Amino acid sequence: MSQPATLEQLKPSDLPSPPQAALQILRACSRDDVSSSVLSVLAEKDPVMTAELLRVVNTPFFGLSRKVQSLNHAVTILGQRTLRNLVLCLSVRDAIGKDAIPGFDTATYWEDSLRRAVSAKLLAPQLRQDPDDCFTAGLLQDFGLLVLFYLRPEMASYWEELRGLDPDARYEAEQRYFGHNHTGMISLLADAWGLPEELGRVLGSHHNCEILEPAVGSNENHPSLCRILYCADWMNAIFSTPDKSFVLTHTQQLLQEHCGMEEDEISTCLNTLAEEMEAAARSLGLHIETQPDIEQIMRQANAKLAEANLSYQELTWKLEQTLKERDALAAELEKELQLAREIQESLLPRELSDDFPITGLNVSALQLSGDFYDYFVLKDGRIYFNLADVSGKGVYAALLMAKTSSLFHCLGKHIHKPDKLLAHINNELCETAIRGMFVTMIAGIYDPQSGSVKMVNAGNPPALLFSPGNKVQAIEATASPLGILSDSSFPLAAEIHLREKDCLYLFSDGATEGYLQEGGEMLGLSGLLKLIMSMHKLAPKDQLRAIVEKFSAASATLHDDITIMLIEGKTPHA
Amino acid sequence: MECTTRLENGFTVIALCGEVDLHFSPKAREIILKHLQDKNHVLVDLSDVTYIDSSGVASLVEGFQHARTHDLKFALLGVSKAAMQILQLSRLDKVFPIITHAAEADQL
Repeated sequence: MSQPATLEQLKPSDLPSPPQAALQILRACSRDDVSSSVLSVLAEKDPVMTAELLRVVNTPFFGLSRKVQSLNHAVTILGQRTLRNLVLCLSVRDAIGKDAIPGFDTATYWEDSLRRAVSAKLLAPQLRQDPDDCFTAGLLQDFGLLVLFYLRPEMASYWEELRGLDPDARYEAEQRYFGHNHTGMISLLADAWGLPEELGRVLGSHHNCEILEPAVGSNENHPSLCRILYCADWMNAIFSTPDKSFVLTHTQQLLQEHCGMEEDEISTCLNTLAEEMEAAARSLGLHIETQPDIEQIMRQANAKLAEANLSYQELTWKLEQTLKERDALAAELEKELQLAREIQESLLPRELSDDFPITGLNVSALQLSGDFYDYFVLKDGRIYFNLADVSGKGVYAALLMAKTSSLFHCLGKHIHKPDKLLAHINNELCETAIRGMFVTMIAGIYDPQSGSVKMVNAGNPPALLFSPGNKVQAIEATASPLGILSDSSFPLAAEIHLREKDCLYLFSDGATEGYLQEGGEMLGLSGLLKLIMSMHKLAPKDQLRAIVEKFSAASATLHDDITIMLIEGKTPHA
Repeated sequence: MECTTRLENGFTVIALCGEVDLHFSPKAREIILKHLQDKNHVLVDLSDVTYIDSSGVASLVEGFQHARTHDLKFALLGVSKAAMQILQLSRLDKVFPIITHAAEADQL
């Protein structure tokens, strides 16, 4: 035959066709009023077909008690429907010769088709279907695929790959490879061969049985036949595909779900398959290889399943181990951070007596703080103090914080001029500057006797001096932060004098850039001013705690480290 | 926050926008340093920056320090009001060269 250029241009005449007499019988059988004698007359027009029909009906597969000698007798005994099925099976068998598709393994195709047919026949009683109808439909259900290869013989080498797929995957692959699938092709063939409409619909829909579901109260049985064909397709796949564990498990589920079969019924059905296939093959004159032992297949599938299960258990175990390791590492890290936090806290000054004029508080946003404060008393009774903030947050800020606070604490004991001290610290920091990190700092010396405060503000938010009568003075930055430019100068701010009830507040930008409401606006300097005023009457420690608590209450985590220091004036007013 | 880069007046202009915070600073740092390492003179355009925290400022400081040690030009361009407040508060406006228009970069 000459193949159509594309399957879209396909004409009925391009399709394989049964002998004329078979075609006439098939068409006649679709009428209800045809008599058995008419059918036998039609069949006898083709002596070869007649002889083959008689041979087949007399094989043990049909289980007739005595030998049938004439076609008229056969039709009378078997009935119009069985004759039609028989003619159909022989027509399908002969429509495409075994050498019609070069390079195509016709033997494996027929073995699979026969297995579907026998499977469908074995499933028939489960859904109260006629076994012969099921057998014939099973033999026909994938014939569309053979027709596709017949029309596209150049695709013959893909058969092995398609055969190895499960029915659903194969159905999708056909569409990709041919642009068509076997159900569409068998529908065309059913029309061309004049098959009963019901059979054509079932064959054309057996991968999509839902569309055949009958209306409530209807007696249509083709949804049942459709489900049988779909299950039969999967039963064949147990033998034809390499992934037996998946296909076997899925087929068992399908048989339970669609055919209501118990495990032992499924097992019996699969065990009977080989024997039934051999009988059917003899009857139809098809050659098949010795059938594999289903017990062995099931053992293989179960072994693979157990292996997969083991891999899954191993995976679960590994995951559990990994989670345990992660938790252990997290706990170790937590311990390390806790230790680092303790060391960091040890860098903060110890609380001195209750009447000591300086109080500080530091709360970190993360485990470790980039802020710090310090104060210590010099031999002459003056107090050195500082409050600083390292750029960024977390561990790296904390390390620079440790270095800077140590420099301050150590050098401060010898350099009693804040401007000189900061210049020294700045040069030290610039020598080891990394990643642009810098430190804002307010540092100064407070003389409680005279109330004098000499301080430098290096890039820090302004210090706020509160005096009785709600007078507020801001001491702005007098220099840029430390660690940016070496040999920078850090000029002192104008000297101030703290008198009794004067309060000098120093704070890091975590306070001015903090939020008192989640999603609200930044507090800003004026907001902090109001907050301090509202707490002004509390004792110094309580004041600082109350202020920080306002930030903590606003959200689960602080946005930045917050550090506040309060220096009280103790000198009586003149 | 996104960064865009353009060439203007012989400088690579890196425009930062939105919030330059702990989350975005590493990205800003990477872009600034990449251009400086490629021996480009750099202007960082802050005109669309709505907020910059100390980690963002540190990225600028690092760029500034790198440019100084490698004899490259580095300046801030068109600093937004929000960013300028932060710089002024910490007196960093006295540290960084700041210009209003790229044409002024000739004076750097």
